[in-house]
Amino acid sequence: MMRRIPWLGMITFAVILFVISPLLVVIPVSLTSNNVLSFPPQGFSFKWYEKIADRPEFIDSFIFSIELAVITAVCATLIGTIAALALHKYDFRGRRLINALLLSPLTIPSLIIGIAALLFFTRISLAGTFWGLLATHLLISVPFVVRLTLTGLSSYDYTLERAAYILGAKPGHVFRDITLPLLKPALISGFIFSFLTSFDNVTVSLFMVSPSMTTLPLAIFSYMQETLDPLVASISTVVILLSLVFILILEFVFGLDRLFGSNSQSH
Amino acid sequence: MAGAVQSNKGSLRTALLLLTPGLVLLIVAFLLPMLYIFLQSVQDEHQQFTMKQYLLFVQDPYYAQVLWRTIKLSLYTVAASLLLAYPVAMFMARTTGKLRGIVTFLIISPHLISVVIRNFGWVVILGDKGWINTTLLNLGLIDEPLRLLYNELGVVIGLVDSFVVYMVLSIATSLYAIDTSLYKAAGILGASRLRAFLTITLPLSLPGMIAGITLVFSLSMSAFVTPALMGGTSVKVMPVIAYEKIMATLNWPLGAALSFLLLASTYALVALFTRLIETKRYKEVFSS
Repeated sequence: MMRRIPWLGMITFAVILFVISPLLVVIPVSLTSNNVLSFPPQGFSFKWYEKIADRPEFIDSFIFSIELAVITAVCATLIGTIAALALHKYDFRGRRLINALLLSPLTIPSLIIGIAALLFFTRISLAGTFWGLLATHLLISVPFVVRLTLTGLSSYDYTLERAAYILGAKPGHVFRDITLPLLKPALISGFIFSFLTSFDNVTVSLFMVSPSMTTLPLAIFSYMQETLDPLVASISTVVILLSLVFILILEFVFGLDRLFGSNSQSH
Repeated sequence: MAGAVQSNKGSLRTALLLLTPGLVLLIVAFLLPMLYIFLQSVQDEHQQFTMKQYLLFVQDPYYAQVLWRTIKLSLYTVAASLLLAYPVAMFMARTTGKLRGIVTFLIISPHLISVVIRNFGWVVILGDKGWINTTLLNLGLIDEPLRLLYNELGVVIGLVDSFVVYMVLSIATSLYAIDTSLYKAAGILGASRLRAFLTITLPLSLPGMIAGITLVFSLSMSAFVTPALMGGTSVKVMPVIAYEKIMATLNWPLGAALSFLLLASTYALVALFTRLIETKRYKEVFSS
């Protein structure tokens, strides 16, 4: 039974190829000198990279996406962590209900979250504003943080806190020297998850952006619906290469399967 | 005693304080909006109660067709994901250490890049002037490009690519938990490999398969970006027409009603599926 059957390995290889190929083909296409999208690419030039500079909306939206993702990650980690701490540390009536409510956005498709937010935010004049966009990004990120922090807290030992208090430590000290270090892995995972959730999101942002404020995935999405040319390939290549660096850092520092494994059931 | 009550009250106050930002966010950005679009879906232009948006669904066969297409494409996606993911999960369960880590990394990491870019890659591969068609044309195997994009096939390929990872991880998790001594016992008792697979691996991976099927089905039902980019104008699914009603024709009540119909049909089908599986399993347990 322990002997490896080669066809399992072959199918695995094929599936890996299947999920990686759409990213691999983008890179050669971005180096074409042709004006239309074709494969294999003809000629070699960097002209499609130069053309990115002619379209400031992509650079602006890239910067905006990063800003939004960082703000989302910081706020979501904070909001989610303190909520998880409250849920784990204190026993009160309605605790399980609040826990379920905080995780409930995960059970609703993001398309419907976007539609609901657009209609309601239009009513309270929040639609098309930065705050509206940030609120929806926080809404879809906070449940991840709550889950990750609760998982991290499940092995948390309160006797350490008690011991510190007995030894005369002040609450601020206890938080800094005991609670925070023990929660660090969960905080980092939560931060990365929120960042990626916000940075890659299209379906919710679709309903929240305005002409003057758009995210990179959405700028590409809108462009692709009108024109299909190698410009999308050069922008995508830049994003892929930057993501690759980011992913490799994540893998070396934390291990992606650990990061993802605890969340595979939560979409 | 008094001190204990005091501290309880105090801790309750602390708990509420810590929960406030999360709950405010939930209420303003989620609960109130959901309630609001539900009310919109049962109102007409003059804010009077009406069921006409939902009745349209029965009266106009177009909407039933779109829903059926959405369900059908989601089922295809689930079937294809299951077929592709099971061997991968088995491979992952049989390898340990470094190789398992590498396979997991290679399956997961492409999904950290936006679905928009992945779909663009598929356009490059599947398009009329794409990689597959150019290769086949050059080899003289076909005379005109195969239609691989902007039809149902294209949408299913895109959806499988996006969601197969969830199926792999769900099944792999349940396979990791299988006690390998069961296989040794089966071997000692003279069971063939196929028999061991059918009586040990398959039944014990059922929870993972159910989780994967439910997850991939729900995600496919509500997927918007892939059908919009890889289905073109001919393959309209529920999320796409809901988007059009909201953003293009500005018919918000109908868009809201379509959202709820999509949600209700997804939940109903998932519930039906888990029900069927559960009853079948109970029968098996009690009959044996």
